[in-house]
Amino acid sequence: MKQLLTQLALVLVSIAAAIVLIMLGLYACGYPAHRILTLWAGGAIATRFDIAVSLKIACPLMLTGLAAGIAFRCGVINIGAEGQSLIGALAAAAFATAVAPSLPSSVAIPLALLAAILAGAAWAAIAALLDRYRGVPVVLSTILLNFIALQCVKIMLEGPTGPLKDPLTGVPQSRLLPAAYHLPLLPPATGMSSLHIGIFVALAAALIAWLIQSRTTFGFELRVTGLNPTAARLAGIPVAARQLSVMLLSGGLAGLAGAIQLLGITHILGISQPGIGYAGIAVALLGRLHPAGIILAALFFGMLDNGATNVEISRYGLPHDTADIVKGIIVLCILVGAAYISRHGIIAKER
Amino acid sequence: MPSFSDASSLILWQAATSATPLVLAGYGELVAQRAGVINVGIEGVMLMGAICAFAAATLTGSAAAGLLAAAAVGLLIAALFAAVTTWCRADQVVTGTAINLLAAGASATLYTMLRDHPAATNGEAPFFDRITIPLVDGIPLIGHALANQYALSYVVAFAGLLLWYLLRRTRLGLVITALGDAPDAADAAGIRVRWWRTACVLFAGLCAGLAGSFLSIMALHGFTINMTDGRGFLVLALVIFGRWSLPGLVLGTLLFGILDGVQTTLASMPGATTHFPPSLFAMLPYAATLIALAMLTRSSAGPVHMGRPWPAE
Repeated sequence: MKQLLTQLALVLVSIAAAIVLIMLGLYACGYPAHRILTLWAGGAIATRFDIAVSLKIACPLMLTGLAAGIAFRCGVINIGAEGQSLIGALAAAAFATAVAPSLPSSVAIPLALLAAILAGAAWAAIAALLDRYRGVPVVLSTILLNFIALQCVKIMLEGPTGPLKDPLTGVPQSRLLPAAYHLPLLPPATGMSSLHIGIFVALAAALIAWLIQSRTTFGFELRVTGLNPTAARLAGIPVAARQLSVMLLSGGLAGLAGAIQLLGITHILGISQPGIGYAGIAVALLGRLHPAGIILAALFFGMLDNGATNVEISRYGLPHDTADIVKGIIVLCILVGAAYISRHGIIAKER
Repeated sequence: MPSFSDASSLILWQAATSATPLVLAGYGELVAQRAGVINVGIEGVMLMGAICAFAAATLTGSAAAGLLAAAAVGLLIAALFAAVTTWCRADQVVTGTAINLLAAGASATLYTMLRDHPAATNGEAPFFDRITIPLVDGIPLIGHALANQYALSYVVAFAGLLLWYLLRRTRLGLVITALGDAPDAADAAGIRVRWWRTACVLFAGLCAGLAGSFLSIMALHGFTINMTDGRGFLVLALVIFGRWSLPGLVLGTLLFGILDGVQTTLASMPGATTHFPPSLFAMLPYAATLIALAMLTRSSAGPVHMGRPWPAE
């Protein structure tokens, strides 16, 4: 209980600090920060429609947050959710447009998501295997693999040779996914008909991640490995195998995130960096690596992004990217705060 | 179509220019990593250097002010990074990622604010131009590349010689290496590990900030959103590719610059891209670095304590 309160206090103080800092910055630049803050909050949650959009933005962040969280908890610093989600989306797009374009919706969507999960896991496996057999640090290989993944997507979509490129346009993008592959939207009666059912996939993933982490021996072993690999090894836990399997889980979740974004929102694979992987790291830290916390943190980030759009279209015209400043400051505050807590023994040691 | 020697001379000239910011930021990252600190946030620092140089040059009307602003913001972010990692012991890679996020947001926001400023709309902001060295220019093949660069490029070249000497031949170089390979031994020898690491991180920030300014007020005249476009990550990769040695870094970067020049030349030839996707070239430096990392034996896999806080608990 005391742990929970400490973590909650850390998160809230960090968010408050970030808001205060951004407001001071805005005042310093001559903007009426209180008005902007009102616009921001209004854009995020004022109507059911706004809430639906916030949820829609939060959905892939929940999955990439879970991807980062499950790996970090095991002491595996997977920075590669960005690339893994790109490869996941690429696999889903290839499956939908080239492999099986005429499947009925009930089989099409699960199979496309499965393809994305496997592809994301396979991409993460490259980093995991390089770590295990060649001693290449995961942090470095995953960063590099993010760039390689983006170029892979470009190769598939660019020029006359791109196998997945839409031949009808000069823009490097895939064909529009067949309608059977579009995620169904929520019924209009809910007032959130712009939201797709991917949100339930994300919530289910969080539940499963929680069950694995806190109710199974496997999950326990993952946590022990994260807390102290040497002790884990002495206790007979196959540390290297656990680190490999957590990378597969993490990559699979990231791949799923990429596919959910593709099937739920864009319906066309393009060559832009989605940014959901890097944001997922921030989400995981803000959620204190706990699945429930990660869901809440992703929701908060979704609201932050959605509200920022409202500020962008207002007469103050601040760009949408201002939300990234807030995210960055929050993460830095959390890092410093967490270090302070573990240092001064408010809780003996995290978890 | 240009003759082969003309094209080669042009490619080399281009390579030397595009290598300048990479090598400069690489000096800093090399020193920081040798001291045991990996700064993934270098991309963000370069981006902030680029926007601050552009902003300061525009607002004051002086390109030199832009250079100063880039140096200052580089030092500032590095101080933040050092405080969070070296002193608060937070994870270096995660902190770097946060700094990238922060910088992406801050640079885009600053740019939008600046666009509406009256000074930005009153004609072109001041920039540094290329200088020409008369006699060297006449040397075939490499003359054009050697004699037509920005002043900063020449400074970077000489700074490289100096840094190489410092790292290889002086006590300072030994101290920096000790910070990353044996911080406990350094501590026992009376070296203040965290202060020295902070100094190395500050140096890295200074280099990355200036490298960013090279983009916005020298090589390209102006700022665009996310203009560093992965160059910071590329620097990380090049430092590792060069196996943490200065000549390795410089040679790797020049090689990359030449490949990049060849790619642009090839892409401009009619019918060239139909058989060869340009993205395959763009992937090359990252793939090569990954392969180089995999080929390193464990014993030579870089500074032993890179990425770890000191003291260990």
